[in-house]
Amino acid sequence: MTDSAGGRGGATAVAPGSGDGASSQPAALRVADLSVSYGRVAAVHDVSFSIDEGECVALIGPNGNGKSSIVMGIAGLVARGGHVEIFGRTAPPANVMFMSRHGLTLVPERRQLYPQLSVADNVILGCYSRTRSLRKARTSDSYRRALTLFPELEGHMKQKAGTLSGGQQQMVAIARGLAADPRILAVDEPCLGLAETVGKRVYDALAGIHADGRTLLIVEEAPVRALQLATRQVEVRNGVVVRGSE
Amino acid sequence: MSAGVVLVAGIIIAGFFSASYFASVVILALTYAIVTAGMAVQIGFSQQVVFSQSVFMGFGAYGVAVLNANVGIPSLLAAVIITPASGIVAFVIGKAVSKASGLALAVATLMFPLIGFGYLSYANWLGGSIGMPLTGNLWPGGSSSVANGLLTVGIVTLVVYATTRLVASDVGLEMYVLGVNERTAAAMGVRTARRKLELFILGSMLASLGGAVYAGTQLFVPPTLVQATSELSLLIMVFIGGRRSVVGAVLGAVAIEYFSGISNFVSIHILLIEGVLITVVLLIEPEGLAGIANRVWRVASASLWRQRGEASLAPAPPTAEQAPAPVSEPEVSAFRRHIAERQAASGSLPSNLLECSEIDKEYGGMRVLSAVDLTLPHHGIFGLCGPNGAGKTTLLNVIGGSVAPSAGRVLLNGADITGLRPESRFRLGVSRTFQAVHLIPGRTVIDNVAVACLASHESTLVRGIVANRLVEAREQAMQALEYLGMHDLADREVASLTLETQRMVELARAMAARPALLLLDEPASGLSTPQREHLKEVLHSIGEFTCVLLVEHDLALVAAVAEKIFVLSSGALVFDGSADEFRSSELVSSLLIGV
Amino acid sequence: MKLGNLIIAGIVTGSIYAAFAACVALWYRVSNILNLAVGDFAMMGALGVDDLVRVKHWAIAPAILVMLAAVAVGAYVYDRVVLGLAQDGRTRQEGIVVTFFFTFALSFFLEGLAEVLYGTDVHAAPDLWAGPSLNVFASGLHIERAGVLVVGFAAVVGLALAVFMRRTLRGKAVEACGENYLGARIVGIDNRQYRRLLFVLSAVLAAVFGILESPITGYTFNSGASISLTGFLAAAFAGFQKPGKAVVAGLSIGLLEAILGGYVSAQYGDTLLYAILAAAVLIRPSAMGLDVALD
Repeated sequence: MTDSAGGRGGATAVAPGSGDGASSQPAALRVADLSVSYGRVAAVHDVSFSIDEGECVALIGPNGNGKSSIVMGIAGLVARGGHVEIFGRTAPPANVMFMSRHGLTLVPERRQLYPQLSVADNVILGCYSRTRSLRKARTSDSYRRALTLFPELEGHMKQKAGTLSGGQQQMVAIARGLAADPRILAVDEPCLGLAETVGKRVYDALAGIHADGRTLLIVEEAPVRALQLATRQVEVRNGVVVRGSE
Repeated sequence: MSAGVVLVAGIIIAGFFSASYFASVVILALTYAIVTAGMAVQIGFSQQVVFSQSVFMGFGAYGVAVLNANVGIPSLLAAVIITPASGIVAFVIGKAVSKASGLALAVATLMFPLIGFGYLSYANWLGGSIGMPLTGNLWPGGSSSVANGLLTVGIVTLVVYATTRLVASDVGLEMYVLGVNERTAAAMGVRTARRKLELFILGSMLASLGGAVYAGTQLFVPPTLVQATSELSLLIMVFIGGRRSVVGAVLGAVAIEYFSGISNFVSIHILLIEGVLITVVLLIEPEGLAGIANRVWRVASASLWRQRGEASLAPAPPTAEQAPAPVSEPEVSAFRRHIAERQAASGSLPSNLLECSEIDKEYGGMRVLSAVDLTLPHHGIFGLCGPNGAGKTTLLNVIGGSVAPSAGRVLLNGADITGLRPESRFRLGVSRTFQAVHLIPGRTVIDNVAVACLASHESTLVRGIVANRLVEAREQAMQALEYLGMHDLADREVASLTLETQRMVELARAMAARPALLLLDEPASGLSTPQREHLKEVLHSIGEFTCVLLVEHDLALVAAVAEKIFVLSSGALVFDGSADEFRSSELVSSLLIGV
Repeated sequence: MKLGNLIIAGIVTGSIYAAFAACVALWYRVSNILNLAVGDFAMMGALGVDDLVRVKHWAIAPAILVMLAAVAVGAYVYDRVVLGLAQDGRTRQEGIVVTFFFTFALSFFLEGLAEVLYGTDVHAAPDLWAGPSLNVFASGLHIERAGVLVVGFAAVVGLALAVFMRRTLRGKAVEACGENYLGARIVGIDNRQYRRLLFVLSAVLAAVFGILESPITGYTFNSGASISLTGFLAAAFAGFQKPGKAVVAGLSIGLLEAILGGYVSAQYGDTLLYAILAAAVLIRPSAMGLDVALD
């Protein structure tokens, strides 16, 4: 067995937007030639697709193939190459604040909450990119909306986030994402480790967020759940987009 | 070889420059070098940060001083008495601190210099804050500085020789793995708790020996030897020289003592200089000067190879995949024979190799595994699938021993192994790979695989110095590499390999142990299509004489090799059946494929 | 009476340990580095002001301001250059090396600098509130005026810190950094800025404490080490995580130190203290949350 870099399957494909090309509005999110590397390993390369405002797009494909790296790269959490435009503005790489201020928030894989802080504190930190004033954050509409999104959390506001069940934690994570009042909400594996019924509840909430007019980008391992909601799917295999249209 | 260099250089200096100030500085430096050599082995290999060496140095120094000044014993004899005594003290202290690890250990031992110095400063019988003089030179014959110097050089040479032999032995390889990743070491059978204690004792005894030599050559023992600043200076010497390199640590000690000895400017500003120096060195290369030398050597030898037109050490550019080498018959027979021998030795076996019954696991209120029952026979390939977060890796960890279940039992060949640590399970025939590649950087492929073939787990460190069986382990490792068609990679540095190749090396390592039960965690992850085909072939042939439990997301691969597939969802076993049943099951489809 | 005075002395030194312990714990949560140079900043503050006032004949107020500014600038530059290279670059260093040795090196450097600049004698910053020790409620208990300043300052700082952490969004952000590095970055928190801010703040606060406390005990170039270590120990008892617990630990250690020194042995009091603390850490490391592996 020789030591080679190994062939990567899949061709580079550009996924067309679902709107017609003559639309004068800039796409909500446009990604071109995105690449993410960890050390010498290229997890993602030559990824291009775009999302129009109001769409709900599912990013699907087997695990370990780069889906999380794509959204992490777009959101600015990891260094990336390539070109990302959000509502027509070119985004500098690895700049979370920029993406947040221009309307993209990520609900990361495995929640990434603050276990020793209360539920309310976890959610209000979602407002950090908008304001540094606690008072302004508490009185903002986005915070109020985030808190009322999941009535199930009502009695748990003061509870430490680490003591909640997986499903409740996922709800807190989504609420935190919503507190930033995003125009585009990216959600990475919303049902990771959750029971069927809880996953359904999460998707209902996401549907509600979509109905509000926000754009959704959902990363999912098992497309059956996402496809209930998504208008389009982008499939990623071996770090490259292989199938982009519906 | 390095010991030889030390010997020669030392003889020249001590012999020909004996009367000079220069020589006396070098001698002093060498006494510190004895201590730092021990620290390099202890800190570098067990990753235990302990701050007790200056106290042991003081133990040796004061011990010799007391025996010499108060009891009249010649210094050299006193040194011979004190060093084993320090070993006993180290054993007691080592046991006391063994429950602590990481930060707790560091914090607790940080107090030792403070306690030692605080006591010595007011202990009048030991000279109080001034210190204790001695009358006896190290060299028993009288006050010849040449002889003193040569004796010191001899001792240092012996120490360097012994420690470098230890590092290069099979026990040394065990220690190396332990220092890089304790979890991997345990999974490969290294008795981690015992090795850490042995290393603590070794480091402490060498520190004490250094103190004894100090007393015999300087003829005065001050309490500042034990101070926190002295402890930190020792650590700085080790880190500047190279914490994993004995020679580096020796050079670090010599360099610092030498320059502060010969230059007034340096000795006045020593704190400043040490502070700046260690910061700079750590920023450039955490492995210190030895690491820098290593890097330079690697770059130089790589370019040397290229000039000669031989195969470059850099990874080959991507080419068309060559057909993987077919699995050869002799290797298969060797494995089969070994397993048969193992089975025969353990008498009649129950019909099932592995039985997990009612396994529960809770993590802080979240139920990760609930009432999982799983049985596996003595050979065959079995798949464990499920969506992300379903608990597959946790179940593997429970079987492998790195995680204890909240409830339930794990039986291997009928015996309850639920309470056994991973290293014990390894010796009973359980071997595994991990999701993330855990090879040891800085060692070759063959050494990485040999980790699983070491027969030294029950041996002491001393045996490692005296008799080295690394060669046998490497031979066994080579068989595993040949089995997978990777024998031409044996001498490559693992850091230069691609991720896919590293995965195959990990597989070779797990297999080299010739296990009865092989646990593979996503072995196909990152592999290209032809490599997956090769993996299927390898799995097919292993499955004939070993039991393989495979966690995988590549369902096509699993369905192609496994005779039975288990599916976990949210911690519960929801499906268990043959590959055909798996393919046609609706439950499985909706769960995993989403069709 | 003696017990009462010992308790007061214990509270004074305990307040300093508590303050330093809180700084060490808080900074560790954000940066995963143990600040072993915190006592040396105190020493620099004290010796620097003493040098400016006594040797160079400056007035007290500008001397203090200049020294604090110097400490702040020094800490800022250190974080920017050294820690920046170590943690913010492409290769982020982790593990024992970063946790301990960078600030060890800084401690050595500061001690060496102080030795060169200020010599090896014992000095102290001038008394900010000169006068004989105060009689507490005319009860016969005495407290040094400087001691009042120390405890007062510690209380003010402690209160301010508690309010900051609980009642401001930035304070919650600092806590979030310590809880989950990735989670903090998700919402846009810049971990490095908070690391830098807290480091500079710790350095300046330490310098102030040094200036306030040195009239009581006197400092020399290597006094910083034992203060750093004791503060560090107090933080250890809180598992290096909870500033609140660290404060309690610091006060307790100060009290224990005073009582051991007063009742057991003036010479071996400190040694006994360290032995007790080491044993306590070893016996129940998990109780202190210290079972976190270094790497």
